[in-house]
Amino acid sequence: MNISDWLTLRIEIALAVFILLQLIIKIFDLIRSNETWLRLNIAITFLIVLLGFTGNDSGSLFGGMFISTSFIIIEKTILAFATLLVLMQSYNWLKHHQHTPEFFMLLLTALLGMFLMLSANNILLFYLGLEMATIPVAALANFDLDKQRSSEAGMKMILSSAFSSGMLLFGISIFYGITGTLTISSWQEILRPGGLEVLALIFIMTGFGFKISLVPFHLWTADVYEGSPVSITAFLSVVSKGAVSFALARFLFNGVIMMQEFWVEILFLLSIITMTVGNLFAMRQTNIKRFLAFSTVAQAGYILLGLAGDPVNAPTSVVYFILVYMFSNLAALGVVEIVSFATQKEDLDDYKGFYNSNKKLAIVLMLALFSLAGIPPTAGFFGKLFLFTSGIHSASVVWLLFASLNLVVSLYYYMRLVRMMFSENNEKPLASIQSPLLSNIALIICSAGILFIGIFGGLYDYLHQLAK
Amino acid sequence: MIASVFYFLSFVSIFFAVMVVVSKNPVHSVLYLILTFFSIAGHYLLLNAQFLALVHIVVYAGAIMVLFLFVIMLLNLNAATEPVKSSLMKFAGAIAGGSLMLVLIAVLSKINSIQPAHEVNTQIGLIKNLGKILFTEYNLPFEVASILFLVAMIGTVILAKKNPHTS
Repeated sequence: MNISDWLTLRIEIALAVFILLQLIIKIFDLIRSNETWLRLNIAITFLIVLLGFTGNDSGSLFGGMFISTSFIIIEKTILAFATLLVLMQSYNWLKHHQHTPEFFMLLLTALLGMFLMLSANNILLFYLGLEMATIPVAALANFDLDKQRSSEAGMKMILSSAFSSGMLLFGISIFYGITGTLTISSWQEILRPGGLEVLALIFIMTGFGFKISLVPFHLWTADVYEGSPVSITAFLSVVSKGAVSFALARFLFNGVIMMQEFWVEILFLLSIITMTVGNLFAMRQTNIKRFLAFSTVAQAGYILLGLAGDPVNAPTSVVYFILVYMFSNLAALGVVEIVSFATQKEDLDDYKGFYNSNKKLAIVLMLALFSLAGIPPTAGFFGKLFLFTSGIHSASVVWLLFASLNLVVSLYYYMRLVRMMFSENNEKPLASIQSPLLSNIALIICSAGILFIGIFGGLYDYLHQLAK
Repeated sequence: MIASVFYFLSFVSIFFAVMVVVSKNPVHSVLYLILTFFSIAGHYLLLNAQFLALVHIVVYAGAIMVLFLFVIMLLNLNAATEPVKSSLMKFAGAIAGGSLMLVLIAVLSKINSIQPAHEVNTQIGLIKNLGKILFTEYNLPFEVASILFLVAMIGTVILAKKNPHTS
């Protein structure tokens, strides 16, 4: 093991060192001002993003327990970038919070957990990473310390994640019993469809289903998204969901590829219910955070459709979709965060006539909704397009038909919100809101991403090259 | 001999686990849970995992269950305060549980015999071997677990220290 091998671990080491350093700084109370903490952490996250573009990419460490490829590094960089945007948007909220340093420690550890989860080729390390990515976030969901809803969110999150981890572990232990090894990549030579294998796979898929909130495992989602602080809602809906989707893609194609025929069936059923229920419930929501929660549930259904592809196209289309989805959802939640911080209003009806008082924010929100709905000039269209083209590989006609119908349904409720913002009158309109500089920069980055990613088509080719 | 001990322990642990669920009084549930943990520790001993058995008793049966009992006593829960569940919930629960049992039976009936996947090192559960493997082969997960616990602690302390000004 020489230096260049260690460099494949550079992101994780840097992140761990920063987390521990912050703990020491906090213990000795060296930095008092919240704004200094914020700038420091935004700088750290930016550094983590930059680290993704340097040095040696592929390698394996600790006897094959930790692996890294260019593709995994790209996934990690996307997650780190999303975290950076979340941090920039949470500037206003954290400026006056009494536990700001702890917020960063918890958030960065969750990120570290996701990185380890993505690089793990050992199911034990994978599980530890998964826990590390959820337990700190449960504490973060409770970070509006004086609000009861926030406590409820934290409690629901920790209980549902504990339950789903139990499911996942049961499946993993059966796989371990069958194969006798914890190394994920060596499972694919041993595992063949059989009664016990199928049972284990169902349990593991259930565990994953909870984490990316697929129907029927979505019951915690809306409550947690509604109760958590908006930054954490953004982190959960983009970074957590993205990381687990990447991990699911890696698990399916590296661990149990031989059982593809079977898990495509599972994906088919889950995907259809997820899209339909997510869309139908999104229609009748009155709170914008719950509305976006169900919209993310529905989006997870399309991710499953993309996963039904071949081993190269499926991960590529999922990564591309998550990148696009990151920009769209963070733009939407960024606007919600600004509005919610300034006015404490989170109802959909409050957004009536939003364009009259806040023109720029309304346009950003409109772009985000267009992209989530998948309307052509925006990147969301291309994200969905690639998921569909990947899914055609093994998806049945019924599946594609359901997905297309659901796209139409989702168009209705996204456009309803746009229409409310632009053409309806509000008796008590929202005041004109002054948003902070960093939030504005984050929103501009998101809007640029929505507008330009789709137009520059080279990105998909680039990811496709890396996935091979 | 070992087979009969195994069956006895399995019966005891499953029986007490069922009792945890069905007993109305939360304190009884906790006491049954302690017995379940003891019988599972017996399973670990059968697998020659002495360290795991001891830790299991000390941590789960000792520390965690005492904590459970304290919480239950502080909340003053008893059979009378148990919330009434609607019959619809019970019906849905019965259907979900029944389908899971159906799947389990269907799967288990298809398995004829399970061969050990490979030769198992029977000495792996001894403290010396466990310590050695934890600091060599499984060094990375070991360190990762320590960060996880550290952060879980930070999160818990923050939540526990809510509103220091108002109290």
